[in-house]
Amino acid sequence: MNQYIFHPFVLPFVLGMAFVLTYCVVGLFRVICLLPKDDRKQFWRSLVTPKTAWANIRDLFGDCLFHVKIWKRNPILGYMHSAIAFGWFMIIVIGHVMLFTLKPLEGVEVEGFARTFTNFYYPIFYKHFATETPVFAFLMDFFLLMIISGILIAVVKKIYSKIVGVKRVTKFGFADNMVRFALWTIFPFRLIAEKSNIMAFWWLYSIDLMIFMCLLPFTRYMHIPTEALFILLRHAGLKPREPRKGYALAQIYSCPSCGLCIDACPMSVNDKMSGNTSAYFMKKLRNADDKEAKRIAETCMQCGKCVAVCPLSIESCDIKMTQREATPYIINSDHSYLEDRHFDRPQGAEKSPSVLYFAGCMTQLTPKIMRAMKQIMEAAGENYEFMDKDGGICCGRPMLLSGKTAEAQAMIAKNTEIIKQSRAKKLVLSCPICYKVFKEENHLEGIEIQHHTQYIDELIKNGKLKVNKGEVNYVYHDPCELGRAFGVYDEPREVIENVGNLKKAKSEKELSICCGGSLGSFNLTQQERDEITENSVNDLMFNNPEQIVTACPLCLKTFARKSPVAVKDIAEVVVENI
Amino acid sequence: MKENILIIGGGAAGMEAATQLQKLGLNPIIVEKSEALGGHIAQWDRLFPAFHPAKDVVDQMLEQVKDVKTYLNTEVTDIQKDNNGFHAVLSNNETIDAKAVILATGFDIFKAERKQEYGYGIYNNVMTSVELEKFFRTGKDARINNPKKIGFVHCVGARDVKVCNTYCSKVCCTTALKQACEIKEVFPEAEVYTFYMDLRMFGPGYEDLYLKTQKDFDVKCVRGRVCEVSEDMDGRLVIKAEDTLFGKPLKMTLDVLVLMCSMEKNKSIDAIQQKLGVANNSDGFMQNKDMYLGMNDTKQDGVFVAGACTAPKSLPDTVGEARSVAVEVFNYINNK
Repeated sequence: MNQYIFHPFVLPFVLGMAFVLTYCVVGLFRVICLLPKDDRKQFWRSLVTPKTAWANIRDLFGDCLFHVKIWKRNPILGYMHSAIAFGWFMIIVIGHVMLFTLKPLEGVEVEGFARTFTNFYYPIFYKHFATETPVFAFLMDFFLLMIISGILIAVVKKIYSKIVGVKRVTKFGFADNMVRFALWTIFPFRLIAEKSNIMAFWWLYSIDLMIFMCLLPFTRYMHIPTEALFILLRHAGLKPREPRKGYALAQIYSCPSCGLCIDACPMSVNDKMSGNTSAYFMKKLRNADDKEAKRIAETCMQCGKCVAVCPLSIESCDIKMTQREATPYIINSDHSYLEDRHFDRPQGAEKSPSVLYFAGCMTQLTPKIMRAMKQIMEAAGENYEFMDKDGGICCGRPMLLSGKTAEAQAMIAKNTEIIKQSRAKKLVLSCPICYKVFKEENHLEGIEIQHHTQYIDELIKNGKLKVNKGEVNYVYHDPCELGRAFGVYDEPREVIENVGNLKKAKSEKELSICCGGSLGSFNLTQQERDEITENSVNDLMFNNPEQIVTACPLCLKTFARKSPVAVKDIAEVVVENI
Repeated sequence: MKENILIIGGGAAGMEAATQLQKLGLNPIIVEKSEALGGHIAQWDRLFPAFHPAKDVVDQMLEQVKDVKTYLNTEVTDIQKDNNGFHAVLSNNETIDAKAVILATGFDIFKAERKQEYGYGIYNNVMTSVELEKFFRTGKDARINNPKKIGFVHCVGARDVKVCNTYCSKVCCTTALKQACEIKEVFPEAEVYTFYMDLRMFGPGYEDLYLKTQKDFDVKCVRGRVCEVSEDMDGRLVIKAEDTLFGKPLKMTLDVLVLMCSMEKNKSIDAIQQKLGVANNSDGFMQNKDMYLGMNDTKQDGVFVAGACTAPKSLPDTVGEARSVAVEVFNYINNK
């Protein structure tokens, strides 16, 4: 006996669901097909590698289901999101479990295709067709009310976001607002329909679901189906290669435009500049607004804070770099001078230096740091040599930031060659910008690469460098390319605690605010940068320190313009206390 | 009874304004924070473009203000205004009642340490234009030891967004050429270089000085900024610069490097200025009413400005403004 459990009000839902499923399946194939061949192989392999498979399972549950990262960042938002997403998930799961336990209406037998088709919508509208056992009734009502509590918080957040600790929220267009409105009303309609069984509310409920699902692919809610794929691709160790293809596409659709990066971004010192944040960048990419996406990619300072706070760890900085690589900027560079460069072994030096010090362009412009490093290495009795005493070769970072990888590689290769010629065991850098390049790009196997904060910390710890503890109150600024990029947070702090008192800044470590001097941005005006610097200085001055200490010559120069107190490099502070 | 006019600052502007006010029948009172009248110009040896001794000018000015009531080593600590005029409290606890106030507080020299890349305070042989002038006056400076090669860097702390000073400091170009000639007079064998962005020879005789510098003194003027300075093993200075006319980077070893420091607003007056309600321009200097016909007026009734407190100015500019402020104050008092 073939018979459907059916009412016409299920049709809008069925239509919407069919559309969104088709869209997602096609999208999934598109993303995977657009991956470069090697990446695709790596992806398949990662799925069966036990280590990545375990990471996948952990994050699929932790991120997609329990939203651990949002809870950590902001518990109110964590509850809001979990209430809606986890509550909805549970309603769907319990609904399907009930399929096996519920008895359909008396005397109706459902079999074959009819059964499959019915199962498609039955758990969504079951209350109209059947009654459940008390346990299920309680669970379903519980999760439904949980969702509604989450929606209430969302409504409050929309009206006054500061109450949940959010200063700036993402501004949305028509489709996003429409879908949000649909989402907010789905569950109250369902509750009323279930409790009253009034036909009009079943219809409204179903139509709301249809609107939500039909518009979903064109809005931020696309993150719901995409996030899982993104997690798998991320764990496969892929890197975005093109701004709107393959892996980057999965990231673009995974961005929920939650806007946590807006408050985090150092550029959000005023409304105009807050439009340069990653949430909007991803939105522009999603909407194929290439002109704006390019502009934001070029404005970004690449400090990485948006990635640090992102509940999905979307690599917006990397995607911006692919956008730059895709732009043919005209830079006339002449690297013919590289040919004659080699390591100058100083006259009379018999042994190879054990430590090779590379100051870099920025440290050459802050000779106090160089002098301090020299004094430290002398005091520690190190066998050292300056690599770029008579002019060095740029580490290549500015070229990399301009998307000119080939040009950068020419300089990187030459620097690698010079370092190897020196036969030093250790390379010490004062500039985190250089540090990043030497760590990531130069192939210096067998040579230890240290930033001078790590090096000084080591010298103090192994007793080579004796320092005195002074009385000065310092605050330490984490340079983006040392802190967020490599997690070097503890060594500088330990060094400072050895020579004085360390005060806390308002935002520290991965939340530290870019100084505003970043090489990353092409088109911030000096005035805009000044505003960023002032905000960052205020944050550092939170506990009234007597001096600001940084570990980056560029931060040093940038802060010195705006700081009410002296700004020093960590090496200078150490030398003052030898 | 003569009306009191309070002049804050006893440099060229303050002294000249006092002289003229006295001639106009008013009673100027100068309050000077340092131990002597004369301001920056008293620290100078000779003046451009004609190498005229600064002392001559300062002495004449001092002679003219010898009857003016003057407070030295004194600052204005508080100032109030009511219907009877201004009431100032001095750091020696005296009070002065005055009908008008002239701010003639001048400028401060840019602190060369702020351009760390030029190595002032780090390398021994880097000095400022002010220190070189002192050398010309006294003949003594440990850093100047029969130098063979000397460089001058223009625009240190001026036209430089990186130190937040975007304005031109006006007098340093001509001063650098004057000092280049003078050092060449002392050490005729030395090679002298100046590194400039533009040479702004705006006054009468200045362009002639520029030609003379090159023709008679064989000073080499290089168009390009010095980007970095370091020290070699012997303590000599190695500079890197760009010759933008040849489009080539250049590297040079020097015995002495002189930094032509810009003028910055004298910030020690900020508190009093705030009490008087006189605002600053975006470049940090005081704001006058307008730059054409109201250059000595401020938006505050009875408060006047003269000299380099509103912008970098040469000595003739300053003297001119000091004279005009006297007339403005005279008219203000008579129209009350």
